[in-house]
Amino acid sequence: MPKITIDGRVLEFAPGQTIIQVAQANGIEIPHYCYHPGLSVAGNCRICMVEVEKTPKPQIACYVQATDGMVVHTKSAQATEARAGVMEMLLVNHPLDCPICDQAGECKLQDYAFDFGHPTTRTPVEKTHLPKNVPFGAKIVYDGERCIKCTRCVRFTDEITQTHELSMGARGDKEMVIMTSKGEFTTPYAMNIIDLCPVGALTSKDFRFESRVWFMDFTESVCTGCARGCNVTVGARGGRVLRMTPRENQDVNRWWMCDAGRLGYGHANAPTRLTTPRVRTSARAGEFAEVGWEDAIDAAVEALRDAARGGVLADAGATLEELFLLKAVAGRGDLKYASRVGQDEDGFLIVNEKGANQRGAEALGFARAAAPAPAALLFVERGDAVPKALRDGADPVVAFVTDGADVPPTARVVFPLPTWAERDGLLANVDGIVQPIRRCRAAGPRDLRAPLEVLEEIRLGLDAAATPWTHADVVAAVRGAVAPAGLAVPEVEFAPAAPRTVAAPASRTR
Amino acid sequence: MATGLYPQTKVLSKNFDVPNAHTLAVARPRGAYQSLEKALRTMTPAQVTEEVKKSRLRGRGGAGFPTGMKWSFVAKNTGKPTYLVMNADESEPGAFKDRYLMERDPHLVVEGALVSAYAIEASAVFIYVRGEYPNSIRRLEGAIAEARAAGLVGKDILGTKFSCEVWVHPGAGAYICGEETGLLESLEGKRGHPRIKPPFPAVEGVFRCPTIINNVETLSHVPWIVAHGGEAFAKQGIPPDPANPRSNGSTGTKLMGVSGQVRNPGLWEFEPGITLRELVYGYGGGPLPGRKIKAVIPGGISMPVLLDSELDVKMGFDELVKVGSGLGTGTAIVMDDTCDMVEACVNIAHFFGHESCGQCTPCREGCHWMEKVFRRVADGDGQPGDLDLLESLFKGIEGRTICFLADAAVWPVRSIVRKFRGEFLAKMTPAPTPAGA
Repeated sequence: MPKITIDGRVLEFAPGQTIIQVAQANGIEIPHYCYHPGLSVAGNCRICMVEVEKTPKPQIACYVQATDGMVVHTKSAQATEARAGVMEMLLVNHPLDCPICDQAGECKLQDYAFDFGHPTTRTPVEKTHLPKNVPFGAKIVYDGERCIKCTRCVRFTDEITQTHELSMGARGDKEMVIMTSKGEFTTPYAMNIIDLCPVGALTSKDFRFESRVWFMDFTESVCTGCARGCNVTVGARGGRVLRMTPRENQDVNRWWMCDAGRLGYGHANAPTRLTTPRVRTSARAGEFAEVGWEDAIDAAVEALRDAARGGVLADAGATLEELFLLKAVAGRGDLKYASRVGQDEDGFLIVNEKGANQRGAEALGFARAAAPAPAALLFVERGDAVPKALRDGADPVVAFVTDGADVPPTARVVFPLPTWAERDGLLANVDGIVQPIRRCRAAGPRDLRAPLEVLEEIRLGLDAAATPWTHADVVAAVRGAVAPAGLAVPEVEFAPAAPRTVAAPASRTR
Repeated sequence: MATGLYPQTKVLSKNFDVPNAHTLAVARPRGAYQSLEKALRTMTPAQVTEEVKKSRLRGRGGAGFPTGMKWSFVAKNTGKPTYLVMNADESEPGAFKDRYLMERDPHLVVEGALVSAYAIEASAVFIYVRGEYPNSIRRLEGAIAEARAAGLVGKDILGTKFSCEVWVHPGAGAYICGEETGLLESLEGKRGHPRIKPPFPAVEGVFRCPTIINNVETLSHVPWIVAHGGEAFAKQGIPPDPANPRSNGSTGTKLMGVSGQVRNPGLWEFEPGITLRELVYGYGGGPLPGRKIKAVIPGGISMPVLLDSELDVKMGFDELVKVGSGLGTGTAIVMDDTCDMVEACVNIAHFFGHESCGQCTPCREGCHWMEKVFRRVADGDGQPGDLDLLESLFKGIEGRTICFLADAAVWPVRSIVRKFRGEFLAKMTPAPTPAGA
């Protein structure tokens, strides 16, 4: 293989790779704004300039292809000076309003200014003023002054969605991004431009001014808005999910996610969420008393033992492990799942099937609930996934529900169900790829117990001879159970239950 | 017109003073399209290219790249059509030579385009004309319509197998669309953002097809070369330096002009070899009464400035580079002793800042920053460190961008700051210790 030398390291590369690609593959950071691996090369920000021996001028690492014997310096005097020069230019007209900018803390402009910039300003000149607070559709706000004109957002609408809503407008230091369409995006993926924006020029109306990012807790998880299972980072603070952003996974969602999925966390923050277990106190439907978790579990064991029937009706957003235990507890009846089916599949990411683990449910022997039918256990994270007719028809003995509005009035025991943002588990996506969702410690009401633990205690309560299972035991059992259906369960480590912590903010952009 | 000076050679300008030379009825009896006929009937495309190579014709748009060599780069057997683009976006301040050609002898321009298209086997010619040149556009369109009616444009030209369309595309008022790849983007209907090279246009140009882009004046030379042979062309002007095998000299003739603070601004045609002093003082008539010439930019605004004492340089590509400037478009801008050089810098920096496409950070932000610094020095608010700041800005802008607009923005103002340092220092408060000029 041909070899290139970067900062003294001799590195092999595949023909066609650019300097920045070789560097990234080998853990050498070359700063960049306009370059993004999912978009065409624009070569306009110039921050990635490096010194290439035998060329007089600094070269842009994002565009110049590696050649055999090429010698590159990313930290030489020429490269450092070029980079600092660009950094200074970028700040000439930047408003430096970091204290009120959502991007602060995860801003490449801040990062590189800190790493490569001049410590003092040489620009006591009036800044160029451009339009601020410009709505780009209903969900995005643009700030022309913060914008560094890297054109990532324009290239996204040109190349990825091919909907061409954005363009550069004007010229020189008056240049800015403009909307070419009539003020609204036609693509359901528009909000990806917020993540693509390396600075705070594009911000989300949904997340605007909600939190400084360094106060948030970030968890790597999976979107459960549909069966695609886009990989996401969930940002939460003080019991509320504040933001979801896509995470790169070339097999599932590349770098992107849809706007509906991104904004589909509302039920996690709903004021009507159920926070304590309930036990029905009288023969009359709907009369419940709030009880402790242990009392509720005891009541559930008793109620299930008395019940003449089994059967499960589960939201297809339930994890493989949860479905497995639901089946273990009430498996002598019919196993049914329910999910919403849309009509918005687009051949890109969005699929019609909205049950995040529909493939997993099928693999574990669950069948789609076609009509209302009785079931001993009901498991509902999203009320719209399991319609009221099905819930009422199930007439469950024990129910796990997220929202107080979905409590089945005839259930004997109701457990508050943590949302996907608060649970650990595995989901099989539309292509049969099994991926973990992870508990975000800063999300959801405090003191909710995982349904997996609750179900395990119920199982042990029902069968005194049963061997206790850990989460890992359940995963192992699931692995064997779904293998015949062609699902491969990866080795996944889940963090042990621990108090809420605040993690360092993860960078959103590549 | 001054006489007894360096002689004019009227090749391109032979019809400039002929009434109605823009019509086919006048132009054709005066020789128009004879070279096209000769090329189509008696020469292969390769032979035409060979004559152009022998002529050592260099691009008249500013960079002076050998035209024949450029043509030889065109990608062959790509399965795509080849295009010829004529760059008529003459938007360089001080340049007005292509306008004369298009308005006064449009048939020469069209013939040059057609012969060149034949040489590179192009199926169409796009003439991208500066939008502020409505007369040029009108004359070219008129000439093309006449030529088409006479079987000189379109299918089976002059009854041969060669077919070529010629289209006029008006620009929309951006200097950057004179940059060849910015022009291509604009021609495709996009913003005039220059492209990163490679790929070069000869491989992937307009509509991703192999494309040759030449200046109007460059291609207007081709009919004469076809008529008289490349060697006859190469005998004119400044021959190549025999000591330098890569030298191409400055052959043929060149339209040269003078504008600004002179008695007799105008446009003439010479064999390169005339000095800038002869051009400015002789044909240009020298300074206005009671004034002195302070500085001359030899070829359009984007070249470094020369002092009056430096004007004895020959108007040739290599000769002007040797004195730290460039021939550029060959149209000199003269500034006399009433011209405030700091204000000149404000004006030049403003122009380039305004015309920067906005793509690359150093150019987009740097040109305006330069303007702001020049502005405050001009207003008497200059800081003692401003000249050093400007030098570091020049360094941070030049050579750091996709296209050469940034370089063109730096060259003239840097030369002014260096050569007229005293004028800058005189405006600064508190006046720092004078250093240099």
